[in-house]
Amino acid sequence: MEASSQKIIEFKKVIKKFGERTILKGFSFDVLEGEILFILGTSGTGKSVLLKNLVGLLRPTSGEIWIDGEEVSGFSEEEYLPIRKKCGMVFQHPALFDSLTVYENIAFGLRRHYRLSEEEISQKVKASLALVNMDGVEDKLPTELSYGMQKRVSLARTVAVDPKILLFDEPTTGLDPVTTNVVNQLIKDLSRKLKTTSLVVSHDMHCALDIADRIIVLDKGNIVDQGTPQELLKSDVPLVQDFMAEVNEKQEGTA
Amino acid sequence: MTAVMNPLVRFLDDLGQCVLFVKELLRILFFQGCPTRLVFEQIWSVTMQSLSTTAMAGFFVGAIMTVQFTMQVSEFGALGFLGGLATSATIREVGPLLIAFMLSGKVGAFTSAELGTMRVTEQIDAVRCLGANPLKELILPRFIGIIVSSFFLLVAGLMMSIAGGLLLGIVFSGINPEEYVRHIPTVVSLGSIVSGLFKCLAFAVLLASICTYKGYSTTGGAKGVGQSVVKTAVATMVGIVFVDWATSIISDAVLEVYLSL
Repeated sequence: MEASSQKIIEFKKVIKKFGERTILKGFSFDVLEGEILFILGTSGTGKSVLLKNLVGLLRPTSGEIWIDGEEVSGFSEEEYLPIRKKCGMVFQHPALFDSLTVYENIAFGLRRHYRLSEEEISQKVKASLALVNMDGVEDKLPTELSYGMQKRVSLARTVAVDPKILLFDEPTTGLDPVTTNVVNQLIKDLSRKLKTTSLVVSHDMHCALDIADRIIVLDKGNIVDQGTPQELLKSDVPLVQDFMAEVNEKQEGTA
Repeated sequence: MTAVMNPLVRFLDDLGQCVLFVKELLRILFFQGCPTRLVFEQIWSVTMQSLSTTAMAGFFVGAIMTVQFTMQVSEFGALGFLGGLATSATIREVGPLLIAFMLSGKVGAFTSAELGTMRVTEQIDAVRCLGANPLKELILPRFIGIIVSSFFLLVAGLMMSIAGGLLLGIVFSGINPEEYVRHIPTVVSLGSIVSGLFKCLAFAVLLASICTYKGYSTTGGAKGVGQSVVKTAVATMVGIVFVDWATSIISDAVLEVYLSL
């Protein structure tokens, strides 16, 4: 699905402080329904904090966060539950529950968000694993899988509850180049197949240029540039140019 | 002055946070209930993990007390009172204290490391994102499970300490079993037993509160998990000594009031 003009997420002048330190400095942006939006930035610029504010794992110090027409920044933990059903989050770590099998990991969210029979849950688990090309691992424990496979199971667990919005926190960190490409392709395919909106937080400009509809570049808690991949290629912002130089180096290295 | 005040403020802050954490757990328990199956799973796993070591520790605590008392009472020709004295001291004071120390190292360190790892690998955040309350589904079953199983383990350890005392009484002190057991009821009053059990319960609650709180509030990767485990071990041991002192005073005061009635 191509991006519509309908805003599904609105971030309005959000400030997040931890004690004296201000991590998010009051910037605003929108995410359009159906688009893949990348938020790029170096480590420590507040990218993960931004995502955690969206799903209510952290609450903003001030500002407004609108998700699918609702202002959620003041929501209680109970009020946030339906929002978390809409916003599936894929964490930087696979974050699979070690003591549960892959099947139980994926069924965890289904059991809490829906009232389904065991047969329906089983079908959903299988369908979600098939989406990430991971059939036949239902009975394995997460520790029996490689890191890349765990990331894919984590993705399957998130998409199993049919979220409208997918949030990815550094989805390719710690992966080898081949698995990185697989995960990137999965993000693109899932967004198109499931018709979801994807917000990806990353420091990988190469991936962003490859699959993003739009890119926002963050530095020290503020937006320094934004636009389509083509627009950013012509950017004269130093940080963006640094990112581009790194992409060029990688391409030269592989050429 | 700041060098003294800062750690004090941090300690009080931590203590306050821990109390609020337990209050929230109790609020969830009374208003939302607790997943019973998970509680029983925890009771089973904690008990099975620690039963053999607790029993062994209890056995040796009792044995050591008997050996120590043998040296004292034999000088006065009061070997007949050995069983009563050793059992009383073990049940009232030394047994719960030493067994609780061992549990703090085993159950406390395990739980805080487990929860700390879940925290730093974002598993606890994932629980929230998948529509569940981690306090209700992860922490509360462990909190209740640890209290119940630690209490049971402490009591089992104390019973083993009586067995250990009896065996060493026979082997080391050369006293016959009937002689050893005969004076136990005269020296070990109901008050001693109640006081010992009260201590066991207080230690179990303290251990469960500290290890779940420290594990849940872990920050900062692998190093953070290590720090949480160390802090849990130190806090539980210091806490156990303090609670031991406090419960001794409380149980003595209650006993005094009871006897004056």
